[in-house]
Amino acid sequence: MKKKLISVMLSTAMLATVLAGCGGNDTAQAPAAEAPAAEAPAAEAPAAEEPAAEAPAAEEAAAGEDITLKWAIWDKDITPYWQAIKDGYEASHPGVTIEMTDLGATDYMTVLATELSGSGSDFDVVTIKDVPGYATLVSKNTLEPLDSYIADAGIDLSVYGGVDKQVTVNGSLYELPFRNDFWVVFYNKDIFDAAGVDYPTNDMTFEQYDELARKVADTTFGSQIYGTHYHTWRSAVQLFGVLDGKHTVMDGNYDFFKPYYEMVLKQEDDSICRNYADLSAEGLHYSAAFSGGDVAMLNMGSWYISTLIASLQSGEYDSSLCGNWGIVKYPHAEGVEAGSTLGTITGLAVTSVSDQKDAAFDFVEWVSGPDGAAVMASTGNFPALMNDEISEIIAGLEGFPTDGASREALSVSNLYLEVPYAEKVSEVNDILDTYHKSIMNREVSIDDGIASMNEEVGKILGQ
Amino acid sequence: MDEKKAALVQRLETEAAELMRQIRAENDIEKKKKIIVKRDSVQRKLTAVRNNRRISRETRRDLVAYSFIAPNFIGFAVFTLVPIVFAFVLAFMNWDGSNAITFVGLENFKRMPQDTFFLAAFKNTILYVLGTVPLTMIASLALAIVLNQKIRARGFFRTVAFFPYVASLAAITAVWSMIFHPSKGPVNYILYSVFKVPQDQLPKWFSGSLVLFTLILFSVWKYMGYYMVIYLAGLQGISAELYEAGSLDGANTWQKFRYITWPQLRSTTFFVVVMLTINCFKVYDIAVMLAGGGDGKLSTSATVLVYYIYQNAFNYWDLGYSSAIAMVLFILVLIVTLIQFRYEKKLEA
Repeated sequence: MKKKLISVMLSTAMLATVLAGCGGNDTAQAPAAEAPAAEAPAAEAPAAEEPAAEAPAAEEAAAGEDITLKWAIWDKDITPYWQAIKDGYEASHPGVTIEMTDLGATDYMTVLATELSGSGSDFDVVTIKDVPGYATLVSKNTLEPLDSYIADAGIDLSVYGGVDKQVTVNGSLYELPFRNDFWVVFYNKDIFDAAGVDYPTNDMTFEQYDELARKVADTTFGSQIYGTHYHTWRSAVQLFGVLDGKHTVMDGNYDFFKPYYEMVLKQEDDSICRNYADLSAEGLHYSAAFSGGDVAMLNMGSWYISTLIASLQSGEYDSSLCGNWGIVKYPHAEGVEAGSTLGTITGLAVTSVSDQKDAAFDFVEWVSGPDGAAVMASTGNFPALMNDEISEIIAGLEGFPTDGASREALSVSNLYLEVPYAEKVSEVNDILDTYHKSIMNREVSIDDGIASMNEEVGKILGQ
Repeated sequence: MDEKKAALVQRLETEAAELMRQIRAENDIEKKKKIIVKRDSVQRKLTAVRNNRRISRETRRDLVAYSFIAPNFIGFAVFTLVPIVFAFVLAFMNWDGSNAITFVGLENFKRMPQDTFFLAAFKNTILYVLGTVPLTMIASLALAIVLNQKIRARGFFRTVAFFPYVASLAAITAVWSMIFHPSKGPVNYILYSVFKVPQDQLPKWFSGSLVLFTLILFSVWKYMGYYMVIYLAGLQGISAELYEAGSLDGANTWQKFRYITWPQLRSTTFFVVVMLTINCFKVYDIAVMLAGGGDGKLSTSATVLVYYIYQNAFNYWDLGYSSAIAMVLFILVLIVTLIQFRYEKKLEA
């Protein structure tokens, strides 16, 4: 009898454990979900009803009510600005606590989309890492359109240089950018000096750029110097084509990629740059390529500036190999003005499930506005809101090249997003990636690859 | 309370007696058995009521057994059974995970023949299975036979053969990427220096038509150790007397293999082939790690069904289409496995 009792108890205990395990999601969410719920009446009931329309949350908070905003981010430990933004906002907004949740950088947008699917999410503010992910979240109705908030707060969107229009969905904006990286050409001055070749300039056509790369390259086996380097991303090669402002990646006809593929593949053939198949097999990171001291020019996003500065200061990069660097503006097609380049924005959005949207938007507004921009610039990153003052802060960073051309390269005249918003942008993105790979691996000819892009994207857009 | 109990006892006793009478009267043995079972259960209930137990001993016994099964079963039901059933339903729906689910009938299946990427994934998966299954089987059987001999350092070589299976996939794919590196790898270096293959014709192992071959080669190498162990167990189960008898009849090594080893290993081979086929259809990680390049995206020459299912589900949030492709994969595996089972049965008969 006793034995049986014990076995029953044991099995009940096991059952209970497993049930607890299965219900993990619920139990884990329960306290978190309760927290805002418990605050909601406090925030809304007496005071919030009327001020919600006009007064930003800051005033509510000043009235002595505590607000906690839950914010989705990635790579908290190695990205300096999350904490700086949180500290900056909390300091100027007493009573507001920003609670960061790190979802990791790999698959961030996928994880976020999963989190926001269904009803279990309690994020108020989410960071938007890329446009395809943004498109997904918008189509899943998980983000709040910000138009009325923007109108109420009187935000002038022109400060974002038109990128806001590239992420507008059916007339509505669902995110405000706070970080904006644009592509420039990094170059190694020592290599140019040694070869006795003039530095690249802020006004180069693609022909001049190609010529320069060939001039500075050294193809002698054993002491090879690569004139230029293209990372394996498709942006690094095919998006030269969108800089003329006449074409975009959502065109459906990609014949305009052709001259750039021809240029790069010819450079590969002549050993002016490393070949794609090798890079892809070894997974060489662009930073390893540039810091190795055998790459004269590298086209890359401005995010690499802060990495380069920090890694040289910490001694991780050998300064005798790449310590003497500079940047210039992206090359441009014949007949197009210099200063057009590619960009990538990082934005903040308010979730549609948030029960404190006003407070959440106030945070978004602060981060993407001048205060947030100053915080971003002070950490060596490029805020979306660029003006001369911000450029000065970045150019004044210790370790930033001191020549005038590098400083001037920070001003951008036209910024084209690597991936502007469109319906089905994820699918189109993947198709372009796939055939970029095929062309660069020389599985197919340039013409066939582009023909496949046209055909497959045509199918998607035709749906 | 007691009255109620007495009434119940009375009722059950009458019922049991009636059933007893029926049993005596019944001549059909099958029907008789059924009634006996019925009477037993009434009798059990009766004992339970008499002993003031609410649940009978037998029910209790069952409950205890179920409670032990429950932890595993609940997990299975929540994380496997329900999702599988849901996927079946979703294959005929259109859903992005957030907005309302809409019924689209066979629309998802009709899309497939026009979808270049699906067709490429389908073709690659089939080719991969056709290449990997027989090669792995042959390699593991050969290894098992060799390592079943009494050779020196047998244990060491068995470990060597098993090692790739245990080693971390990330680590060994990194090593393979180096070995088969198109311009710096030792394999191409040997081709270049020993076999005088011109530099511009050196194979690119991770792209174009060769990438599937590399994937198959890698899988065979990685998994042959595991199936070798299964074959070793099978080999050790073969009675030595059979070989002795064969020797007496003058059978040579090949004949011994053909007429003793191979037939004796039939059930092992069946198991190996079924497991291999199922595992090969599920290929995903190897393809992404070896052929994915920097961003883990697969081009048409290396894409496989599971990869495409993932893409559709979590990149495009087209859960209906993704479930439909999963269904195709499921039916593919089911058909192949059923054929194998039937073949095995035919051999047994």
